[in-house]
Amino acid sequence: MATLREEFTKGFWRTIPPFRLVLGLCPTLAVTTSGINGLGMGLATTFVLVFSNLFVSLLRRFIPTQVRIASFIVIIASFVVIVELVMQAYFYPLFKILGIFIPLIVVNCIILGRAEAFASKNGAVMSLADGLGIGLGFTLSLFVLGLIRELLGAGTLLEIPVMWASFAPFAFMLKPPGAFVALGILLAFMNLISQIQARKG
Amino acid sequence: MRDILKMIVVLTLIGAASGLTLSAIHRVTAAPIEYQTIKFVKEPAVKKVLSGYDNDPILDRKKIEVGTDPKGNPVTLTVFPAKKAGETFAVAVEGTGKGYHGEIGVMVGISTEGTILDIGITSHSETPGIGSRVTGVEYTDQYKGLPAKKGVTVDAISGATYSSKGVVAAVNEAVGTVATFREEIF
Repeated sequence: MATLREEFTKGFWRTIPPFRLVLGLCPTLAVTTSGINGLGMGLATTFVLVFSNLFVSLLRRFIPTQVRIASFIVIIASFVVIVELVMQAYFYPLFKILGIFIPLIVVNCIILGRAEAFASKNGAVMSLADGLGIGLGFTLSLFVLGLIRELLGAGTLLEIPVMWASFAPFAFMLKPPGAFVALGILLAFMNLISQIQARKG
Repeated sequence: MRDILKMIVVLTLIGAASGLTLSAIHRVTAAPIEYQTIKFVKEPAVKKVLSGYDNDPILDRKKIEVGTDPKGNPVTLTVFPAKKAGETFAVAVEGTGKGYHGEIGVMVGISTEGTILDIGITSHSETPGIGSRVTGVEYTDQYKGLPAKKGVTVDAISGATYSSKGVVAAVNEAVGTVATFREEIF
């Protein structure tokens, strides 16, 4: 039986999405054109993940197995609509940028995956920890990926120019293929670190 | 049979709870969403055509009925008043005119004395580099200080006659609206 702490921290390295759980690649590749966009998308996903995990876990004894996927989707979709409305009302510029990818959180495999694989089998507190951990891990990944692409693609970090004057922005990094390249390189580095750790241990 | 009933009941309850929650959230966020949408779409133009106000023209916007569409539904137009010390001294009104490619939306700032303060293009799909020159200040500055009466004319941009005419038509529409609904606007 894993402890609460383990369930929470596993999302930061051991099963960090989208690197370890190779799920949720669609928003990962599409919206990480800058650090802020990645952060916004990650936090929106975290909100949905935490609450869908909580409700799925609370209702798990009442939901018949045959209709569980339908029930999960209704719960997830409700929270996605809440995020969409709140973002539109208070963070309009971010809403404009993330656009269609906000409603698409409904079909983000991470969220349905956690509901099915974790929240439907564990208690509410454990599910909250799992949702928060995985969600923040996802946010961290998107933020870092966004920062790297922003730095190389536009020469800025969080919209502040940081590169030298003659730096020519590498616009390719802001395009979808650039996202694949950045993701691949990050994944390679993570595997390298894991290997070194494994050799030491 | 019991299983089927249970499934139906559970799914219905979840659906109903979700519907109730969402309608409550929608009620709370409807007003801020409308405000934000107008703010980000229209505010740049409103800011350009009005100046020296101390209120939020977007927040103080007024909707006036300008007629009915063929189906009999009321057509409303949003006006943005500029106030100083609570006194409205100018408004921004949007008009549309037919350009070379589709409609051109023009925000027109009109003072209570009846002069055009400035105009700003809100939307257009004119040819980039040719018709799109009507969005430049060289062109729009010509409208500054003209009397806000029907029949406003300015020099057209050579090579962009249709686009220029579209803007003139839009400005005249806005000016006409203010003239017709003066009582309600100011």
